[in-house]
Amino acid sequence: MRVRRRRSLLTGLGIALAAAMLMAALVVSDSLGFGFDRAAKAAHLPDIIVRFNPEASSRVEQRITALPDIAAYSLRQEVTSVSLQTADQFAGNGDVEVVGAGPHGYAIVAGRDLSSRPGELVVEKGLADAWGLKVGGTLDVNGLGPQRIVGLSESPDNVSYPLAVPRVYVSAAALDARFGAQPNPQVNLAEIWLRDPRNLNEVLAQARATSYGLQGLRFVTRAGVRVLLDQAAGIVIDLLVALSLIALATAGVMLAASARAEVQRRLRAIGVRRAVGASRGHLALVQALEALFVAAPAATLGAIGGVLATYGPTTRLLVLLNEPAPGSALAPALILTWLAAVAIPVLAAAWPAWRAAGRPPVALLRGAELGRSRGSSGPDRPSWLHAPRAGLTTLGVRLAAARRTRLVATAATLGFSTAFVLLMLALASALNSLETDPGALGKRYQLTANLPPSAVKHVETIPGVQAAAPRYETEAVDSFSLGETIDVIAYPGDHTIFEAPPLVSGRRLRGEHEAEVGLGLSQALGLTPGATLAIQLDSGVELRLRVAGVVSSLQDDGRVAYVPAGALLAADPSAADEELLAVRLRPGANASAVSAALGPSAASASTAIGRGVPLVSVLRSILRAVAIVDGLVCLYALIQACALTVQERRRTVSVLRAFGAGGSAVRRLLTGAVVALVVPAAILGVALERLVLGPALSRLAASYVTLSLGASGVEIAVVVAGLVLAGAVAVVWVARQATRESVIAGMGGS
Amino acid sequence: MPVLEARDIVKTVGVGRAERRILDGVSLDVEAGEVVAVLGRSGSGKSTLLHLLGGLDHPEAGQILLAGQDITRQRPRALAKTRLRHVGFVFQAFHLIEELSGEENVLLPARLPGALRGGEQRARRLIGELGLSEIAGRRPHELSGGEQQRLAIARAMVNDPEVVLADEPTGNLDQENGATVVALLRNLRRRAVVIVTHEPEAAAIADRVLHLHDGRLAGRPRELA
Repeated sequence: MRVRRRRSLLTGLGIALAAAMLMAALVVSDSLGFGFDRAAKAAHLPDIIVRFNPEASSRVEQRITALPDIAAYSLRQEVTSVSLQTADQFAGNGDVEVVGAGPHGYAIVAGRDLSSRPGELVVEKGLADAWGLKVGGTLDVNGLGPQRIVGLSESPDNVSYPLAVPRVYVSAAALDARFGAQPNPQVNLAEIWLRDPRNLNEVLAQARATSYGLQGLRFVTRAGVRVLLDQAAGIVIDLLVALSLIALATAGVMLAASARAEVQRRLRAIGVRRAVGASRGHLALVQALEALFVAAPAATLGAIGGVLATYGPTTRLLVLLNEPAPGSALAPALILTWLAAVAIPVLAAAWPAWRAAGRPPVALLRGAELGRSRGSSGPDRPSWLHAPRAGLTTLGVRLAAARRTRLVATAATLGFSTAFVLLMLALASALNSLETDPGALGKRYQLTANLPPSAVKHVETIPGVQAAAPRYETEAVDSFSLGETIDVIAYPGDHTIFEAPPLVSGRRLRGEHEAEVGLGLSQALGLTPGATLAIQLDSGVELRLRVAGVVSSLQDDGRVAYVPAGALLAADPSAADEELLAVRLRPGANASAVSAALGPSAASASTAIGRGVPLVSVLRSILRAVAIVDGLVCLYALIQACALTVQERRRTVSVLRAFGAGGSAVRRLLTGAVVALVVPAAILGVALERLVLGPALSRLAASYVTLSLGASGVEIAVVVAGLVLAGAVAVVWVARQATRESVIAGMGGS
Repeated sequence: MPVLEARDIVKTVGVGRAERRILDGVSLDVEAGEVVAVLGRSGSGKSTLLHLLGGLDHPEAGQILLAGQDITRQRPRALAKTRLRHVGFVFQAFHLIEELSGEENVLLPARLPGALRGGEQRARRLIGELGLSEIAGRRPHELSGGEQQRLAIARAMVNDPEVVLADEPTGNLDQENGATVVALLRNLRRRAVVIVTHEPEAAAIADRVLHLHDGRLAGRPRELA
C-alpha cells in the first residue's frame, strides 16, 4: 500500500470529491425539495388562505360554515404597516397578525405559543434572526407598546423577512383582556382546513360562489404557495441533482478505469495466486478490501466536507423561505449516500479483478492485456494522424483514443461539467441583470419621480431627459377567477416608449379598447390575441378590453396587463392618486444629474428582484460553491485521465525515456492525451449549454418569460481558458510524477 | 579510442538481508565497430550492467564514459540527451508501441525533441536495408517476433547512435529469427554493440565474449587483453 501511496491518494481524492458532491446535492435537494412539506406539516398549514377587506367576524363565519368539507377554520385580523422596533432596529411596514381561536397555521420553533395573557408576542424566525431577537426579549409594537417575545415561529405561507415584511403574532384574547372584548371584531383573513384536501377545487368553486358581500377576495391554496416558493428553490435543486449525477458518473468512470489499470498491473501476481489455487472470489475480495481501505476514509472525509459546505447556506435559505432545517431527518439519506460512495469504488475494484481471475493463469503470468486495445489500425486511421510533424502530441491523442469507451465517457463528463459551469455563469449574469437592470423587465425608463402629470413638460426640458410620462399602476382581479390578481399598467399614448417587454404573439395595443397581457397571465387565464380581458378594479368597476398581444414580462411572474391610460382612469380614477412620472434618459446621459434636477422624489426604476436581493445573494453563494466543486471535478477528471494514460502506458513512457525523451517530450505526449479530451469536451460543453441546458433551465425557471441563459462569448472564453489551464496543470503534474519514476521500473511494469 | 568505457562499476540491489552486490568493480571498454557479448546466468547482473552502460541507472561507485561524456555525473536532463544522441536500445520484449505502425515505431526516437535531423530518411533507409518495407505499415500485433525485433533494431539505429545496447535480443525468438537478428547486430557498421545474453549462439558473432560471474567480468578489458 505504501508503494502505491500516490495512486491511492489520487483515487481517494476522486472518491472524496464524488462523496462531497453527492452529499452537497443531497443536503440541498432534500432540504429544499422536502422543506415545504416538512414546514407545512409542522405548521399545520391550512389548505386555503383567504384574504378580504375587513369584515365582521360573524359574517365571515357564516360564509365559511356554509362551505362543504370544512374540518377547521380560524379568523385573523392582519394589520399592516405597523411600526416595530427594538433598541437598534426599526421597521415601519410590520405585519401584526391578531390570531383568534383555532389552529394558528404556524410552527413554534423556539419558546411557546401565545396564551390569553396580554403582552405576549410570537415573532417569525427570519425576523428574529435578522434582528437578533430571542425568546424572553421584548419588541415594541406601535399601539401595543413593548411586548414580551414568548416564541419564534415558522410558517411557509410566505417567505420570511427580509424577503417579506416583518411579521409578528399577538392573540386576540390578549387584546380583549387589555382593551376589552369586542362583540363582533373585524377580520380580514381566514385560514381553512379541509377534511379531504382532494375536494379543494370544489370547495374553492363553492367559496367563490358564496362569497358575495366580501370585498377584495383573494384565495391562496397550499399548492399555490408551494409553486411560488419552488420558483426560487427549484433551479438550485435541479442544478445540484444534475451536477451530482455528473460527479457520480465522473467518479464511476474514473474509479472503474483506475481499478482496471491496477488489475492490469497486477496480472502476474493474480496469475501466481491463481496458479497456487486461489479462487476468483478470494482475489476479487482482496481487491475489494484494498479499495475499501481507501474508499471508506475518503468517502467519510468527502461526506463531511460536502455536508459542511452546504448545510449552512441551505439553512439560511430555508429560514428565508420559512422552512425548517432537515436536522436528523437527513440522517438515513446521508448514511445511504455514504454507503453508495463507498460501495461504488469497491465494486469498481472487485469486478475487473473477478474478470481477470477468470482467465487462464498462463495468460495472466505472461502479463497479457486485460483486453487488447482496439485503437485505430493503419488503413482506418485519419490522415491527420499521419502528419510527419505531428509526433508526440499525436501519439498522445492516439494513446488516449485507444481506450475509446473511456475517452468518450471522460470527454462527456468534462463536457457536462463545462456546460454546467457555463450555465452557472450565465445564471449569475441573469441574476445580476434582474437585480440591477430595469431593462430586464422591458423597462426603457431609468428614473421615476413623484410628480404630477402637469410636470411632464418641465421634466422634458431637463438636459439628458429624452421623454417623460405619467405611469399608472394598480392591482386588479380577473372578473371570472377572483383569485387571479393582475398588475395593471398604463401610460397615456405609446407605452412602448417607456416599457416594451418583447412581444410573444399578436401585436401592440392600439386605441382605447385593447390591452397587452403578460405571458404569465395569458397562461393562467388562457388569454390569446383576440380574447377578452375582463378585470375588476378596486373601484368595483369592471374593465373589458380586447387582447391585442401577449408580451414576455418578468414583472409579477408575467401576471401583468398594459392598458390604455384613458380606459383605466375612466374605470378607476383612484389609479391616478399616486403621482408618478417615468423618465427615460438619452443614451449616455448622466442619471445622477437628472435625478438631482428631478428633486428628492427621484428614484431609480425598480428591477425584477427588488426585495428578493437576500435570496439572490444566498442562491449566488450556493451557485458559487457548486461552480467551484464543478471546476474541481473537471480538474480531477483531467488529472486522473492523464495519470491513467501514464499508468497504463507506463512501459511506453519508459521506452520513450530510454530513447532519450525528457520531461518536455513526456509533457507533449500528455498534452496530446489532454487535447483528445478537452477539445471534444469544450465543443460538447458549449453546445450543450447553449442548445439544451440554457433553454431548458430558462423554461424551468420561468415559463412566463424568455430568460437569456445562453453563455456569452466572454463567459465561454473564460471557461475554455479554465479548461485549458486545468489541462495544463494536469499535464505538468502527471509528467512530473512520470519522469520521477525509474525508467527500468517502468519497463518492467511492476 | 573506446566509445564506451566503464571503470570499477559497483552496484548493489535489494535491501536488508536481501541486499546483494551484483556488480563488484566491473570494468569494460568497447571500441567503435566492435561487438561485445556479455554472458552470464540469470540474475548475474547482465541487464543491470547494460542499464548502467546506457545511463538508465546509476552505479554506486565507478565511472562510465559514453562518447567521451561521464554519464555517472550527468543530471537527468543531460542524461536523456546523451541517450537520445548516442545510445540505441534493443529489448528482449521488443517494446514496440501498439498504437503505432512499424514505421512510426522506427521513427519515434527521431521525433523526440533534440533528435538529429533527417530521421525520416534514415528510417526509410533502415527499413529498406533490414527488409522491412513490406511490413512497415502494419501494427506490432500483426507481426511475428522476428519482424518486431528487426523493427526494434531499426528503431535503435534511427538516431545514428555510436552505441547499441541489446538486452537478450533473441530471448523471445525462435532459432531462425534469432539467427537473423544476431546477424543484423553483427553487421551494424561503425557502431559499438554490447549484447547481454545467456545464449551461446548469440555470443558466437561477438568480437569478444565476457562472462559475468559473482559481480565481476571474467574476461579482461580490451587494453589489458
